Amino acid sequence: MKTIYSALTGFLLILATGAWAQGSGPTDPQIAAIVVTANQVDIDAGKLAKAKAHSADVKKFAQLMITDHTAVNKSASELVQKLHVTPENNATSESLKKGGEENLAALKKLHGHAFDVAYIDHEVAYHQSVIDALDNTLIPSAQNAELKALMVKVRPAFVSHLEHAKTLQSELNKSAK
Amino acid sequence: MIGGSVSAVAATPASKLYVVTIENMQFTPQKLTVHVGDRVEWTNKDLVPHTATADAKAFDSHSIAPNASWKFVAHHAGEYSYGCTFHPTMKGTLTVVP
Repeated sequence: MKTIYSALTGFLLILATGAWAQGSGPTDPQIAAIVVTANQVDIDAGKLAKAKAHSADVKKFAQLMITDHTAVNKSASELVQKLHVTPENNATSESLKKGGEENLAALKKLHGHAFDVAYIDHEVAYHQSVIDALDNTLIPSAQNAELKALMVKVRPAFVSHLEHAKTLQSELNKSAK
Repeated sequence: MIGGSVSAVAATPASKLYVVTIENMQFTPQKLTVHVGDRVEWTNKDLVPHTATADAKAFDSHSIAPNASWKFVAHHAGEYSYGCTFHPTMKGTLTVVP
């Protein structure tokens, strides 16, 4: 399992480090697509985990991911409509989508404690990557002030999710022994 | 409300309204002291729902939607640790003095 998740983390690193040509970050329509896709991927993983997770705490976390990322996407969608920005798919949003699909496929093969561990390990890596992407690429590149402000406003939720996932990760490691 | 003098005439001093803002996944102020009878209102300025829930459920807002608020009257003195049941990273303290 470790190798699969290392590969997925590699995917996420593309997002975090920003595979953009030097000096040219993503455009606002591309950022909008990345934000919406990043949230949707985590909603989809949350839906699977809500149904399949073994631990009650992991199920609760999965529901939180569905609720929070749905709320963020609602705000993001309202903003892009208001700004008349049409989200534009790009290499990063496509790789996020592909990574999300691969994560779901890998998780579907797992059950019980192994599922919980794999889901939460991925959530830790995923949220860290999204925070890095916000800091290094998305927030600095955004041209529209409201789009930038939305991402700044959303960032603390991702940080809270990351800490929450890390706590669950250490609890799952303890319960395995 | 300043000072500790008790007037026999003002047996029921006007209660005050305190606002705790929920923003950036934090309660602000994080520590708040009020008097019995005061009202405390939590206003959610984040994009995601939150709760203000005391340990042992001494008070519980249940889900507060974005841009919504919830308030209650502090009837009982005590020190209440509370948090958001959704986000364990969020903690606050409400102290209610007589």
